[in-house]
Amino acid sequence: MKNKTVLFLNALLVLAVMLAFTTTANAGGKVYKIGMSLAITGPTSDAGNPYAKGTEDYFKFVNDTKMLGDDTIDCTIRDDQYKTEVTKRNFEDYLDQGIVMYLNYSTGSTLGLKRDFEEEQIAVLPASYHSGNLIDSNYIFLPIVSYGEQLVILGEYVAKHHKGGKAKVALFVHPSAFGRGPVADVKKAIEAGLNLELVEVVEHGKDLDNTAMLKRLMSKNIQYVISQTVQSPVATMLKDSSRLGLSASSFGEAGKLTFLGAHYTGGNDLIALAGNAAENFFWTTSFNITSVPGEGTEKQLALAKKYGRDQKAAESHNYAAGIYVAQVVTETIKRAKEAGLEINKKNLYETLNKMNGTNAYQAYSAVGPVTYSKTDRTGVDMAQIYSVQTGVFKKVGEPIQSEYMK
Amino acid sequence: MSANPWLATGNFYTTYKQEQKTFFTNLDRSVFTFFLVILYAWPLLFPLGNKYMLIVDNILIAIVAVMGLNLVTGFAGLISIGHAAFVGIGAYTIASFCRTIGDSHILITHLWPLLIIFSGLVGAVFGAIVGLPALRLKHLYLAIATLSFQMIFEWTIQFMSFFNQGQTIFVGRVFWFTGKVGRKDHYVFWYFVILTFVVLLGFGIRNLLKTRYGRSLIAVRDNDRAADAMGMNPGLTKVYAFALSGFFAGVAGALHAYVYRGVGFESFTLHESIGYLAMAIVGGLGTLNGSFWGPVAIKFLDLQVERLAETAGQYLPAGMNLATALKPLTFGLVIVLFLMFEPRGIANWWRIVKSYMKMWPFRY
Repeated sequence: MKNKTVLFLNALLVLAVMLAFTTTANAGGKVYKIGMSLAITGPTSDAGNPYAKGTEDYFKFVNDTKMLGDDTIDCTIRDDQYKTEVTKRNFEDYLDQGIVMYLNYSTGSTLGLKRDFEEEQIAVLPASYHSGNLIDSNYIFLPIVSYGEQLVILGEYVAKHHKGGKAKVALFVHPSAFGRGPVADVKKAIEAGLNLELVEVVEHGKDLDNTAMLKRLMSKNIQYVISQTVQSPVATMLKDSSRLGLSASSFGEAGKLTFLGAHYTGGNDLIALAGNAAENFFWTTSFNITSVPGEGTEKQLALAKKYGRDQKAAESHNYAAGIYVAQVVTETIKRAKEAGLEINKKNLYETLNKMNGTNAYQAYSAVGPVTYSKTDRTGVDMAQIYSVQTGVFKKVGEPIQSEYMK
Repeated sequence: MSANPWLATGNFYTTYKQEQKTFFTNLDRSVFTFFLVILYAWPLLFPLGNKYMLIVDNILIAIVAVMGLNLVTGFAGLISIGHAAFVGIGAYTIASFCRTIGDSHILITHLWPLLIIFSGLVGAVFGAIVGLPALRLKHLYLAIATLSFQMIFEWTIQFMSFFNQGQTIFVGRVFWFTGKVGRKDHYVFWYFVILTFVVLLGFGIRNLLKTRYGRSLIAVRDNDRAADAMGMNPGLTKVYAFALSGFFAGVAGALHAYVYRGVGFESFTLHESIGYLAMAIVGGLGTLNGSFWGPVAIKFLDLQVERLAETAGQYLPAGMNLATALKPLTFGLVIVLFLMFEPRGIANWWRIVKSYMKMWPFRY
């Protein structure tokens, strides 16, 4: 009798264990696998971390609110530590899992895996806005205007609002393809008639003091420094400039330096790093930011609140960027479903290419419509300029498109 | 020799040549052959996904590189902290061909075995050049000299447009007798290729150590003045140790270029050099099998810590970046623990296990 009881209890235990390890079946709905590889740790993880959270939260929201009916999106997010080798490993893993779209992060890994994307014929949305991603590539879709275009937009703004003759400009860039790539775009725009004089291109190192560089720029009568790098070197430069009394108190103040920068140079993190020295910094991106309240930012904050994110993540423009790519993926799947197409790599790629004209998609996280086609690989074609006024970023005019990059 | 060729029951060597045999008994030879067969057969019997094959390939490439590092640092006692740069020389040799003649040129896609060996030779030349300061420098000073080579390499790659300023230079898909090696078979194919290189180079080292050239490495490491007095040429020995090490590194770099189908600067940084050194230390400096244990242990540790950091990264505050610190912290801790408690590395554990197995069941 005792043996029978023990046998029964053991059987019950085995059954319980089996049940515990059985994957929860998604009743009736299909599961669409998406892969994302980005820097949650390592260099640039200050941007990658909120970016990952934005994507994760939006996909959770899609599943929780049944935006795709019974179907759900299963997005695996892996850390690649900003290393191409690890990104490649993650990508291979995702392919083994049968992903239908892929979300990548860095410029280096996007360029490094370009051939794999072509071979796999899979649509990829990176967090890198480097225009070089699009060369010899059919499957990489830039989420927003390229870094080059952002710099030219800032250059156009300088040329338009500078008082006096030709504005003297320096570029302050990251020593990598990410930083160097857009320099050629600025030079081309100047050759095409953009009224600027590019006096110097500075490739910054890991300098903790920029005094010598700033003094040199001043000795060359440079008035504008346009940055294409990440926040910390810009913060160091702004603080040094402020300490030396070289920062302009208003745009284009004569005899002083006005600082401007592209997407990854700005945001709330820059203000946190540079403090008061960030005042009057001009920044461009294609995302809405929470210091300029609107419908999009309200939804962003509500999403962050729903999934218990802290204020820093909730207000990060990188959180918005993460939401944005998840929005585009979801919308593409939704449209493919509505068209009665099977959700696979090929159909999603083709659906994404039809996202233009009257089919353009308005993502709440971005300042303009998302448009893609076989010849247009840039999602949001316009950018908004912001500047730091009394400790927060404020809008400067309306979203604009570059004249010289058309 | 023992009367029983399968089980030695004592030491019956009558010549130095007999003592230098690779396999002492038929059983040793059979076990090794069986192990080798398993190594070649398992991917066909239990196919892994591309992700895991890539990890395995990566470990094998690290083994080739660490065998080279062990030659110069372990056997010859010359500290090199620029080994990743030598690996980079091999990889960038392939990349240079791709930049010059196109990545789909027949030389790249069909004559790749020759190119891999050629990359090794280029690595050897650079190794010999970098080894020249070893004629005058020792210990920390020599380490700084190799470090400077690492710095020069990094600067050159990052700033020369020929090398695409460190961004990926693509390498075309190779051909085998069965045709073009496609995506599906890519990592398995390279597994067999790299494994073959590991076996050949492993035997190469094993045999080298039996020769006067191999023994002179150890003699110079133990006391170069005594070695000089014994008629060896310590200077030449040091330079050729660096050249040999450069050859192994060059081969590893070329294999890396082909496996990843591209060459990018970030795989050959100082951080990677420290990684190779850690693998050699953890595996066991101055031992051949340590060159196998070290990469396996460190790469697996890397993978586990990666997972831990990834999980921690989801929960720890992003601003503090604590998750990022986990990897270097664990890495450093392992090296310190090995240096403190097992300076002879995992190879020593292997030696202990082997000794135990010899006693059981009543080997002698």
